[in-house]
Amino acid sequence: MSVSAKPVMRTDAHMADPDGFYEAWVAAHEGLSDEESNDLDARLVLLLANQVGDAEVLRACIAEAREPGLRRT
Amino acid sequence: MRECYAEAPPRYNGGMSAETWKFAPAYELPQWPFVAPPDLGAGERIRYPVVIAGGGLAGLTLACDLALRGVRAVVLDEDDTVGVKGASSRGICYAQKSLEIFDRLGIYERIRAKGITWSVGRTFSGNDEVYTFNLQDDSASEQPPFINLQQFYLEWFLVDRIRELDASDLRWKSRVTRVENDADAVVVEVETPAGRYALEAEWFIDATGANSRIRDAMGLEVNPSRSTDRWCITDVRFKTPFPTQRWTWVDAPFNEGRAVWQHLMADDVWRLDYQMAEDCDLEAISRPEVAGERLRAQLGADVEFEFVWIGPYQYRDHLLETFRVGRMLFIGDSAHVVSPFGARGGNNGIQDAANLGWKLALVLAGEAGDELLDSYHAERHPAAVENLTVCRRTARFLAPRSRAEHRIRRAVCALAKRHEFARRLANTGRMAQANAYPPSAWAKGGARSVQNVAFDGTTLMRCLAGGTRFLGLAFDADAATLVRLDELAALFPIDFRRVDAAGPLAGQLGAAAGTVVVVRPDAYVAASLADATPEAVAEAMRDALGRDERSRLEAAA
Repeated sequence: MSVSAKPVMRTDAHMADPDGFYEAWVAAHEGLSDEESNDLDARLVLLLANQVGDAEVLRACIAEAREPGLRRT
Repeated sequence: MRECYAEAPPRYNGGMSAETWKFAPAYELPQWPFVAPPDLGAGERIRYPVVIAGGGLAGLTLACDLALRGVRAVVLDEDDTVGVKGASSRGICYAQKSLEIFDRLGIYERIRAKGITWSVGRTFSGNDEVYTFNLQDDSASEQPPFINLQQFYLEWFLVDRIRELDASDLRWKSRVTRVENDADAVVVEVETPAGRYALEAEWFIDATGANSRIRDAMGLEVNPSRSTDRWCITDVRFKTPFPTQRWTWVDAPFNEGRAVWQHLMADDVWRLDYQMAEDCDLEAISRPEVAGERLRAQLGADVEFEFVWIGPYQYRDHLLETFRVGRMLFIGDSAHVVSPFGARGGNNGIQDAANLGWKLALVLAGEAGDELLDSYHAERHPAAVENLTVCRRTARFLAPRSRAEHRIRRAVCALAKRHEFARRLANTGRMAQANAYPPSAWAKGGARSVQNVAFDGTTLMRCLAGGTRFLGLAFDADAATLVRLDELAALFPIDFRRVDAAGPLAGQLGAAAGTVVVVRPDAYVAASLADATPEAVAEAMRDALGRDERSRLEAAA
């Protein structure tokens, strides 16, 4: 059992309404050009990052998002 | 860039309107004569305690600091005036810590009278303001957060002060041609209009700037990195009153969506600094008519102005791996160069000098072993690393390298217009502060700077101005404790003062009744001791002077 004072990146199911979030996220992109969509996602990342706050968790999230296995080929 | 000072011929602006681009006359800078030193024609080499090569900000600050500590330094400068050749100014913003140092050196009032005091910085994206800071909010100092002043004025005031003190040996038109770093002295060869000579320095300081030939001749690595980002400075004089604030645009609509800086200096001169396209033609963008049109796009057709200087530049950075090599020490740009954002260049040369001055004085007086000079590297190198990191982050924000980076920055600017949290990410420069020093043998808990707080009818800097003594601030100490503390003054270079635990210093230092705060001659806290005993204060002083280290080494030998 690990005892850590600092929060780590959560990968368990934590979202209250996953399908609802997916729907809302997709809906937010409706009618936007690729450029506008990309801008929206960037703003979304920033807003969510501020909800998280913890620098270590944010770094872990960035690393995981950049995981080579997750990148399109 | 001397051709810029000539009156430019009238030119046609896009074939539509004719405008004459006026240039201000060049600044008349002082010149000091070369005086043949006693070394010329002397039979043997003369030995000096401290020799400083380079009479720029860092070198002159150190010479002035040492003069006030009773150490007569020889300053070798290859020129006979101040500033960079021509009327441009390199540094323009002087930070609070520098101003506090200059207060101690006795030139602050001249700087204040001549310069522009400011504390508010505003950042714009497009036509909207995204971020404002007021550095005065965090200030408890007698000095303001910033004063803007052309660098050559500052150097001029320093030279005047050094000459007034008559306790340094300023040698103009004296170029260092060779340096030999021996175990017992540094042998310095000097070329002058009256011939060559060599002298010996107990301690030799290289303050000859970014392109130091002394450093390069020693084969010391600085790991330089050159940016592809290009800018064009346009210094102009105009009478239209502008607010004395630092204005920055991340992406100005009047500069093709690139960054712009606007800063006031002395003599009604404004520095307008425009970010250019990376592939621009440097000669073309700095033509008066092109620079003039940029200015018109920003300020409109009606503003009357004259050019003071136009100069394109690219920035670079570098960092020397060790700031002390035997009897040689490197200060200012010779040791570290950062990108210009945040005023972390000149201000850190000044702080290098203030960090080194008292240590040299104590070593020369036999109050500390020469290991104390290692603490100069142990403190100022990490400071330089921190400045480099901070400035690189700003440079990256200002010059996105890809579409993705542009997108991320757009997101920051868009949200910053609406939300407090995003304003913290808009990075047009994190202004220079007195860097905190990491824990070391000389300061076990690290060391941080104290502002120049006024208390009991005096100020911290005034208390530190005489000689090279530490200051022991004894909060609410009773008479008996003070008597015991005062006994330490015979053993260590420290004087004690009783201060009110309910006063302004206590708040700044987080001190309570019974605390003794040991302040170094450079106004950094060496130790803050709650319920302090004289024994604990003595131990803090031994640490700060490296005396334990010295006795350990002596025991080993």
